[in-house]
Amino acid sequence: MSAILDEISAAYEPLGVVVEGVATYGTYYRLRCARCGAALGCVGDKLLPGMARELVDGEVDLYAAGLAGCACGFQAERAGSIDPARAAAAKVRFA
Amino acid sequence: MALNNLSSDKIDLDTIQDESGDASDHGERVRGGGLWPFWTQIYAQGDPLPDLSCKVDRPEHDFDEGDELPEDYRTLLMKMLRHEGERAGNKSFLGLMGTCIEVAETLAPDPAARLLKSEYLAEELKHAIMFHRIAVGLDTDFALRDVPYAHYAFHLPKDTWADDAFFHFLVDLNGAFHARDWRESSYAPLRKVSRTVERDEFGHSEMGYHFLSAICAERRGLALAQALLPKWYAAALDMFGRSDSPNTPRFIQWGLKGVGNSEIRAAYKDYVDRKLVALGLDLPDERQGRRFL
Repeated sequence: MSAILDEISAAYEPLGVVVEGVATYGTYYRLRCARCGAALGCVGDKLLPGMARELVDGEVDLYAAGLAGCACGFQAERAGSIDPARAAAAKVRFA
Repeated sequence: MALNNLSSDKIDLDTIQDESGDASDHGERVRGGGLWPFWTQIYAQGDPLPDLSCKVDRPEHDFDEGDELPEDYRTLLMKMLRHEGERAGNKSFLGLMGTCIEVAETLAPDPAARLLKSEYLAEELKHAIMFHRIAVGLDTDFALRDVPYAHYAFHLPKDTWADDAFFHFLVDLNGAFHARDWRESSYAPLRKVSRTVERDEFGHSEMGYHFLSAICAERRGLALAQALLPKWYAAALDMFGRSDSPNTPRFIQWGLKGVGNSEIRAAYKDYVDRKLVALGLDLPDERQGRRFL
């Protein structure tokens, strides 16, 4: 893996999202649920340094509230375990 | 379109243009639930995009395929086409198109939305043919070169349907603005395709807006879109490049661009701001999250 892919993977790992090998030719990668393997979306590898963590951190609330992430609920659970207070507030905010 | 036409060395761009026309005009099947192509109804009401014609004095240039190009002109033209990227010989562009199918399969709310995405994909592949022909006419090595999109806007995570809707509304609209700028291009092959590419990209943007409208019609969807907007808004404004780019005056003097980065960005921002407010979204600070001012 390249440094930027390592960075993207590390950013998603706490939320229970796996960055899978190349989804299509070249520079795009599939996001999968680390528990059930469902496809969750995609990401490219030309993000700027530091951007992946910033983006994922900015969307933890969406995962906590179930607006992003797998239907199996794994990312919502993980978001809740990372910061329970923040996750609870997100669920209220996005109710 | 017949496969024979696609394999022709001298592909008829007018024929391709007709392919994107309103199916109902030809008594043919209704596409995309009657919504496709999205540009027809809006262009029927008048020109939706702002005037981007050049307002400064500059020399007259006019080059066509096969002409000897000045070195500086050629360098800038190639740079422009590398950024454009929609070429059949560009594997990374085809990779991006693959993600469109993938995202639709994974995140689209219903089959109707997936069908619209497939119409979008078909039209982008039409552009891949058109720009392939332009590239071949310019430099066969370039026509076959893999050039991944360098801008981060093409690589942002799409892990909600709203992300994909923002991508189309904002990033495809960027393409429409640039294609409009080619109406007066000194490079004839670009001038010839400009109107088709402009309206198609505008239609792709409208498709994204159509999806966003449905998302924002629900309270949770509106909150989701509001949360995602700063990410996409900053990227979209960044796509026009730095306002003080040293290349801009050269592009304008050679007739490859009509306006500078800051002017086209401002016109774009005016347009998208009105559309975003109409959805009930609050606009982010235009400097928030920006990388290229």
